[in-house]
Amino acid sequence: MRAIGAARVGLLACHACDLLHRSIADTDASMCRRCGARLHPRKPDSVARTSALLISAYVLYIPANVLPVMETGSLFGAQTDTIMSGVVFLFVTGSWPLAALIFFASIVVPLSKLSALTVLTVSVHRRATWAPGWRARLFRIVAFIGRWSMVDIFVAAILAALVQFQTLATIRAGPGAIAFGAVVVLTMFAAETFDPRLIWDPIEERRG
Amino acid sequence: MADETPVPDLSDLPEAVANTKKRSSLQLVWIVPIVAALIGAWLAVQAFIERGPTVTIKFKTAEGLEAGKTKIKYKEVDIGLVTEVVLGEDRKTIVATAELRKQAESFLVEDTRFWVVRPRIAGGQVSGLGTLLSGSYVGIDLGKATQSRRRFKGLETAPIVTGDRPGRQVVLRADELGSLEIGSPVYFRRLQVGEVIGFKLARDGTGVSFRIFVRAPYDRFVTAGSRFWNASGVDVALDAAGFRVQTQSLTSILLGGIAFQTPPDVQPGPPSEPNTEFTLFANQGEAFEHPDTVAETYLLLFDESVRGLSVGAAVDFRGLVIGEVSAIGLDIDPAKMEIRSPVEIRIYPDRLRARLLSLVSPARDPIEGIRRYIDRGLRGQLRSGNLLTGQRYVALDFFPNAPKITLDTTHAPLRIPTVPGAFEELQTMLGNIVSQLERVPFERIGDDVHRVLVRLDPVLQAVDKLVKDLGTGIAPELHATLGQARQTLATAEHGLLAADAPVQTDLRETLREVRRATEALRNLSDFLERHPESLIRGKQDGRP
Amino acid sequence: MNLSEGSTQRLIACRECDLLQRAVVLSEGGTARCPRCDAVLYRKVPDSLDRTLAYALAAATLFVIANTFPILGLDAQGNHTSTTVFGTVRALHATGMSAVAALVFATTILIPAIDLAALLYLLAPLRLGRVPPGVPVMLRLIQAVKPWGMVEVFLLGMLVSLVKLAHLASVHTGVALWSFAALMLLLAATAASFDAQAIWARVRVLP
Repeated sequence: MRAIGAARVGLLACHACDLLHRSIADTDASMCRRCGARLHPRKPDSVARTSALLISAYVLYIPANVLPVMETGSLFGAQTDTIMSGVVFLFVTGSWPLAALIFFASIVVPLSKLSALTVLTVSVHRRATWAPGWRARLFRIVAFIGRWSMVDIFVAAILAALVQFQTLATIRAGPGAIAFGAVVVLTMFAAETFDPRLIWDPIEERRG
Repeated sequence: MADETPVPDLSDLPEAVANTKKRSSLQLVWIVPIVAALIGAWLAVQAFIERGPTVTIKFKTAEGLEAGKTKIKYKEVDIGLVTEVVLGEDRKTIVATAELRKQAESFLVEDTRFWVVRPRIAGGQVSGLGTLLSGSYVGIDLGKATQSRRRFKGLETAPIVTGDRPGRQVVLRADELGSLEIGSPVYFRRLQVGEVIGFKLARDGTGVSFRIFVRAPYDRFVTAGSRFWNASGVDVALDAAGFRVQTQSLTSILLGGIAFQTPPDVQPGPPSEPNTEFTLFANQGEAFEHPDTVAETYLLLFDESVRGLSVGAAVDFRGLVIGEVSAIGLDIDPAKMEIRSPVEIRIYPDRLRARLLSLVSPARDPIEGIRRYIDRGLRGQLRSGNLLTGQRYVALDFFPNAPKITLDTTHAPLRIPTVPGAFEELQTMLGNIVSQLERVPFERIGDDVHRVLVRLDPVLQAVDKLVKDLGTGIAPELHATLGQARQTLATAEHGLLAADAPVQTDLRETLREVRRATEALRNLSDFLERHPESLIRGKQDGRP
Repeated sequence: MNLSEGSTQRLIACRECDLLQRAVVLSEGGTARCPRCDAVLYRKVPDSLDRTLAYALAAATLFVIANTFPILGLDAQGNHTSTTVFGTVRALHATGMSAVAALVFATTILIPAIDLAALLYLLAPLRLGRVPPGVPVMLRLIQAVKPWGMVEVFLLGMLVSLVKLAHLASVHTGVALWSFAALMLLLAATAASFDAQAIWARVRVLP
């Protein structure tokens, strides 16, 4: 059995409907015969775009964790909570399963996403050939799990909507929430722009 | 990218790996949307059934109202929620839309009232502070009407009286607001029985009308004969009766208050109709004194000076105050060169009627009555009320000796003829004496005296002779008597008045004893002064 | 070389590793995986159209319910507040976090709505025997939109909020909470039974 990528033999698969097409030389824009989607052998500018998105996500990750995500105001004063302090609060008040959950979703996941995507992008950029299967799985996990980081933003939104008791207690989302939301969105886009097929290209090339 | 590598043989290519999975029945699937639809329908129907009525309320300001948050509460129970707050079409009011619970449907009748409960400090009443923490809410007062209604105009402040408090509303009229305000208490016999619930300026600006609420069961004491007075603050009166301080309560000093009572001399009558109008007097004295019934006005023309008479001075009838002076003027008649003071008085015949029932018959025409009195001698007179201040009052009394005057009905108000005042009487009396003295015929009296003296002369001569006789006849007897008397006196002198007469000696002795006793007493008192303890301890030896 | 579907075995390229391979015919309920990278290539869902349509309809109903009723209610000091999903969006917007509000709106309301609408638009006519216009556009839309619907994440967020607030005051769940849970399951079922190939097959068959 020969393992060969379709692009190497001049075939393009439509990303939407999986129909294989013969690639036409010297055309940049070819459309899928069945569904009209644009055909690309690989996602355009994948490494460049993914890198840009990742860098932006890194930049915003700092304010996302430093600025408060939730601001609680009450008769006793105002209190701000970053993601980390929210986790600590949950832990301290005894609901440590929730603390673990939020910790995982809001701290572990974004960090792992960022680092995983970084590893993948760098490896692809350097045309590395180590453990392609592992990398492919990594990518799948990253793409799947990214959305769950949004949980903290949703919690802030729900609490802000519910706890509106004027002078007694009010909760509002803080500026950290915007930054964090941006991080999640950017990493999700990064997962979209990253083309996993690029992992396998150098291996095929090496094999000749 | 177009690669030149030839397409490999089909069999050379790997095959996709197939994993099988158990299949489930198809038909069951359709249950899922059906169930979902049923649940949705049930929820929708339930929400629709439970939906209560929607009302719109117009307010002047939306302060404290928040769409989706502000609740409507009745007796602290949530019965609705304000869902929308928008500016009204006339841009002067705001319209709040609220949804109420189903059970509140029966609440929405014609006279139901809504207002916003906010923290409020007014009229000695602090209310609604809970709303500082919990947010304002809309209060509702249920009306009693039967016609339902959905569009309301909200009140700007909470009504003092809510529909579920039994009692009666009364309207009072006063000249000014004074120190009263909404919430000022109303007292009956020093019990607080109600409060002021509203006031407004009369339309023509001549006074202020109050609306008060008297709660049951005290509202039955509000009768046609009740008098209301302003019991604010402290009532201090200094008048002929003395010095008086009166107050209803501490609250009334701070907040003002109204008191009412039926004067003892007035028939109470049945409880008055709700919303009847009464007059609010300035104090209790005025309230009890001034029945606002018929007042008759008369004019009195005084020729004398009216100095000391002021507007409001009493009109007294034989010691009973039956009215007051309402106006004083000066009338100069250039033709006759006469100066007169017209004084207008107001009489309340009710006072007479109440006390002297037999004198006044109400059926009689008042003009006829006055005419009869004037014929009988009713006159007005200025009298001195207080010599210290020089205040005077008008007295009406019967003067039988007054010159007859017929009532002149051509002028209005009717004129009661007057007689001069007491001082004037004195003056006239003196004048009378002087004129009488003038009339005495002194010349004739002198002539008469002369004639009398002439006739006396021989009488005197006779008397002279008698005296001479006395000297010769009776005189020697007298002489002897006198000599004996002299002797007796000498004896007495010797016996009684000589220096060593026994009486004298005894007297002298006695005096000496008395003197000694006095000296001893003086010594004793001196000693006691120096040694007062000797009274108790006795004289210590030796010392004087 | 025959690349069209006319041949007994057609060729496909793996989406994730571009491996050229022969497609196999699957039995009902089977999934085809790439031999090199183990990615899921395609699956054969029995009665895909019917199932997907049924699940989508149910999901749509529940979606309406979940957005109409409040998700959670909070009682504190005699005050009662509750919010729908859109209420959270509004609250964020009201406090100035309009960007986050838009994000929440998109991921919890807009995207699932588009997803379901597109599905229904496609499946209902197809089931009834007609081909709606714009099938390819719709299919691409569905595929593009799928990763952005975060209903299940929102459900988790609700549960976390529930626990967090239970410390402070009495919280009670609203109807919408359960609707969201059911919606999450139904959306998952919809995705699981969705078979684009079946649609393509149906489209070709119908006139």
